[in-house]
Amino acid sequence: MDVKGRTVAPSSRQSWRGLIRYAWPYRWRWLAIVGLVIIYNLTQVIQPDLVKIAIDRYLLVPHAHLRPLIELGLGYLAMTGLGLVANMMQTRWVAATGQAIVRQLRMELFRHIESLSLRYFETHDTGRLLTHISSDTTRISQFFTQFLLSLIRDGLTIVLVLAAMLWLNWRLGLLAATVIPIIVALSALFRPPLYRAYDRTRSRLSRLIAFVAENLTGMRITQIFHQEAKQLRAFDTLNTAYQEASINEFRWDVLFNRTFDLLGNLAVAFVAWIGGAAVLHRAIPLGVLYAFISYIQQFFAPINSLTQNWNTLQSSLISAERVSEVLATEPTLRDPPDPVHLPHIKGHVVFDHVSFAYQPDRPVLRNIVLDIPPGAFIGIAGETGAGKSTLISLMARFYDVTEGRILIDGIDIRAMAQQDLRRIVAVVQQEVYLYSGTVLDNIRLFRPEVSREAVIEAARLTGADEFIRRLPEGYDTWLTPRGANLSTGQRQFLAFARTIILNPQILVLDEATAHIDAISEAAVQAALMQVAKNRTTLVIAHRLSTIRDADQIAVLHQGAIVEQGTHHELVRRGGLYAEMVQKSQAPLSSYA
Amino acid sequence: MARRLVWNFIREHGLTYLIVVVTIGLSKVIQVQIPNLIGAFVNSLEHHEMLSSVRFYAVRLALVSAAFVMLFGLGQYLVNRLARVFEGELRHRLFAHWETLEPHYFHRHTVGDLLSHVLNDIPQVRQAMGGGVSQVLQALFLFAATLYMAMRHVNLVLTVIALVPLLGIPLVVTNMGPKMRGQSRRVQESLSEMSDLAEESLASIRLIKSTANEDIESERFRGRVDATYHEAMQQVRLNTLFQSLIPLLTGISFAVTLSYGGDLALTHRISLGAFVAFTVYLSMLVRPLMQFGNVINIVQNSSASLIRIETLLNAQPAIQDPANPKPMPPKPSITFRHLTYRYPDGHGPVLDDIHLTIPFGSTVGIVGRTGSGKSTLVSLLLREMDPPPGTIFFDDVDIRDIHRRDLRAHISYVPQDGFLFSSSVGYNISFPRDTVDHWELVEAARQAEILSTIEGFPSQFETLVGERGINLSGGQRQRVAMARALIKTQAEIVIFDDSLSAVDSRTETAILRSLGELKRQGRTVIIISHRLSSLRYADRVAVLEEGRLTQYGAPKDLLREPGLYRHLYDMQTEGGPARGC
Ligand SMILES: Nc1ncnc2c1ncn2[C@@H]1O[C@H](COP(=O)(O)OP(=O)(O)OP(=O)(O)O)[C@@H](O)[C@H]1O
Ligand SMILES: Nc1ncnc2c1ncn2[C@@H]1O[C@H](COP(=O)(O)OP(=O)(O)OP(=O)(O)O)[C@@H](O)[C@H]1O
Ligand SMILES: [Mg+2]
Ligand SMILES: [Mg+2]
Repeated sequence: MDVKGRTVAPSSRQSWRGLIRYAWPYRWRWLAIVGLVIIYNLTQVIQPDLVKIAIDRYLLVPHAHLRPLIELGLGYLAMTGLGLVANMMQTRWVAATGQAIVRQLRMELFRHIESLSLRYFETHDTGRLLTHISSDTTRISQFFTQFLLSLIRDGLTIVLVLAAMLWLNWRLGLLAATVIPIIVALSALFRPPLYRAYDRTRSRLSRLIAFVAENLTGMRITQIFHQEAKQLRAFDTLNTAYQEASINEFRWDVLFNRTFDLLGNLAVAFVAWIGGAAVLHRAIPLGVLYAFISYIQQFFAPINSLTQNWNTLQSSLISAERVSEVLATEPTLRDPPDPVHLPHIKGHVVFDHVSFAYQPDRPVLRNIVLDIPPGAFIGIAGETGAGKSTLISLMARFYDVTEGRILIDGIDIRAMAQQDLRRIVAVVQQEVYLYSGTVLDNIRLFRPEVSREAVIEAARLTGADEFIRRLPEGYDTWLTPRGANLSTGQRQFLAFARTIILNPQILVLDEATAHIDAISEAAVQAALMQVAKNRTTLVIAHRLSTIRDADQIAVLHQGAIVEQGTHHELVRRGGLYAEMVQKSQAPLSSYA
Repeated sequence: MARRLVWNFIREHGLTYLIVVVTIGLSKVIQVQIPNLIGAFVNSLEHHEMLSSVRFYAVRLALVSAAFVMLFGLGQYLVNRLARVFEGELRHRLFAHWETLEPHYFHRHTVGDLLSHVLNDIPQVRQAMGGGVSQVLQALFLFAATLYMAMRHVNLVLTVIALVPLLGIPLVVTNMGPKMRGQSRRVQESLSEMSDLAEESLASIRLIKSTANEDIESERFRGRVDATYHEAMQQVRLNTLFQSLIPLLTGISFAVTLSYGGDLALTHRISLGAFVAFTVYLSMLVRPLMQFGNVINIVQNSSASLIRIETLLNAQPAIQDPANPKPMPPKPSITFRHLTYRYPDGHGPVLDDIHLTIPFGSTVGIVGRTGSGKSTLVSLLLREMDPPPGTIFFDDVDIRDIHRRDLRAHISYVPQDGFLFSSSVGYNISFPRDTVDHWELVEAARQAEILSTIEGFPSQFETLVGERGINLSGGQRQRVAMARALIKTQAEIVIFDDSLSAVDSRTETAILRSLGELKRQGRTVIIISHRLSSLRYADRVAVLEEGRLTQYGAPKDLLREPGLYRHLYDMQTEGGPARGC
């Protein structure tokens, strides 16, 4: 089940408190809104009064004149105008506050999600996170624009009507007030099923959205393998599940709202019965009963409107819960309270008996010891899945080592702020990420302080300039989502140019030339070597020619370093590396 | 088209909609009875009737209101249920439609933008179809009933005069409607742009983190959020203005009634009672009128959304299957005849006069520098784009005469960037097939040299790979994608686009050995690679340079002639690239 065993509504008080926190900065505006509501309500009360005055004073008297009637008409119009302006202002302010809250919430969510550690993204897919940012926030704002407004407006009316009833006849008033506990009890009764229904709809929706998001990204695969029908069936399953949940939710809504509607009408009948008897026994005058009946009706009008907004309340509470769940997630990797700043980096990297596991008891790296002197060029080779990328991830502190430590210039990287660390260590990753945007912005990562010239210079250095110039609009060519209008190798070129812009002290290339032909690769590497002259450079490559000139080559095998030395030393040793070299060349030479 | 969908849906569910109209109409008729009943009750009390009659009235009151509540609830439920069914159908249509569109379409639309249609626009439409319809019906019946009473019981002239200001309503609607619709569209577009950025940003979180670019991203996002804020505020201003104008018009009506009706009463042209009653009726008209305003609002918003959805549904697939497709010939050779191709939005041809034949059962390598058009060539072979007529043939059948279903059933493909679904390894490998035996799964994994790795995972084939396969190493991902292609054993043509780039030479050697099996089975194999070692079993190698085919022949022969192939060969065997410069 998708309710994950949560059958009762969770601590709603917490969700409430979370919601109120967002409204708090706008408390003065809310006060003003209350004022406007009062003004509006007053105009609504006065308007019928004006009609009554017209009748009593000017129509029922002999020799009446038309003039005062016209004046009254104008007065009525003025009242309407005033009421409308008050109402309009109030609606606008409420909406403005709601929008301001959404804006703030979206920013907060986005910032927070971006601050979370990579682990989080391994288990939370983009589609779901997007539902939080885009639709949960909207629902939360409805709490303010609909529920809170209704609470103010209808709550005020309820209190007034109740007071009027008690004032008119306290006994009948108290009798009428017995509906209040019934209302409370009914609400309590309805709350768990309503909550369940809403929760189910929400989670099914986010699952549906996640599915669509993923399938839009992978549509090409679906089409190439001609699995459209299968994916459509999978979609339909989720779609129907959501639709059913949504219909079920609405069924509860209707049941809930109509129950209160019925209650209101039954209350009228009840008062008619009790009050009618009282009138017959001359306990109360008829006029009072009549007034009471209309009061009861007036009493239930705001109750009905409140219960209608009760649905909004439920759904926004659930959204609030989801959002606060995200916001309450702490990044698994935290910056130290007073991070070390390194003013000048030499680039001395030490892996000091480092071990690491993604899942407990499945070690991926075991007891890695590696000392990289400043300015060295280190190659890392090894079979796929040996843990090379993981090693790099540890160095950029995407994950924390399970054992041992990593030092840069003698400082444990956990003592630095993560952002500082990543300004020192730049990783060109195995996958290239590109934005829909211009080539220029993609290279400079939208950083406003990087000039066009700097970008062009970086592109020229890496050899990307050549193909960029041939694009329809050069550096201003708009890249389609994920850079789909470039060849894969061209995308990697952009990633290189990016790194030049970042200008790091420690440069890490993780299979960064895998999709680039040997000639371009040579050019890229020559450029990088030039740029990285005094920088520490780590290069991971399966194409061994890429790293044969490294000062040191470390060979990783099943998470441990099994060999280390220069290309020639390793070839001479005749171990794993030599075998890999031989495998990559032997069949080639056999052609000749 | 989408609007026609609405009408079709309504027609299709005509009976239910009829029931809705009847139940809601009936409920309103009954609701109007409640004041009468109370009036009669008060009257009877005035005449000091018996206790039993009090009880009688109370029970009648209870029954009537129960009937009203139930009928209304039923109508409301039915119409909203239908709205949700419609919503589901619309989503289904959209998804099914997306599946027919070619990659080029998805290059022009971001996932975030498309998702926003599902997430924000479709619910708008549902709101109009559900709450909107139910409110319209309520308002309509209440308005009609009240108007009828007013005309029947009071002066006709007065009614007409009082209603004159209300004629302004259509004027306001026609005037402001388009503006509101336009604004609503802008709001939806800004939402699209926001989710667009959010989606891209979240998908690139690794890049953002590794470049410490979080703050820049947040600023970018803030820009989009602020834009949605301003558009939404503009919408609020328009909507509130509109929603105030209607009560204002009723207010004017009221003022007119008060003055003119008062005059009529003073001059005894109507009775005082009639005047009072009229004011009561008029005040009863306010509610349906406000409801109308509300509904018009909803309808404007949702029609903006409907138009946006319509735009998506109207996108025609750029590639059409032939009306009378020819079957894919068995064991075909592949021929490119003077193929020149340019992307619609690129300039200059990407492939220039490609002319070559790949005999059936041969293994062909394609090499060429970055951006030379290798992937484009195989994309054309899969007909992800349309080649010009008469340029690509399977035996002597033009690719454009073959149904894509047929074509793709015969070709298996490992894309350069192997996308994986965030499901299990087993699901991903068996993706091309409807049913797969376990041994077939194992066999495909073995051929792709991923079997031992998978067996090393705690949950084996059930291991979840994470979004886009993020929990796997680069080489593991690539090999899963390869196993996915290899499980399609019925495919006679297998294409590998740079699919060994992320594996080490030991694994590469092992994989190549299993590719040798394909060759022995007599299947055509096309391998694109930057590593010449991957082409060791190729019968022929095609060399592409800036979209032109410059060399084509057996590797041995190519080595003997000067050219790109030999240059690459020298670089990869002798000097390292760094030395090469
Ligand atoms: N996020 C993750 N969660 C769980 N396991 C992971 C994750 N990333 C990688 N692994 C596992 O850790 C091991 C090492 O992966 P890593 O990416 O470091 O390999 P690699 O040496 O870079 O390989 P390749 O050459 O294929 O890129 C693999 O078995 C992989 O399945
Ligand atoms: N969708 C597209 N729209 C416009 N131009 C494109 C598109 N896809 C690719 N191109 C351009 O076509 C050319 C060839 O691209 P292609 O992907 O075929 O190269 P490739 O040979 O596969 O390169 P690589 O070795 O880097 O994978 C490139 O210059 C690229 O910029
Ligand atoms: Mg890796
Ligand atoms: Mg390519």
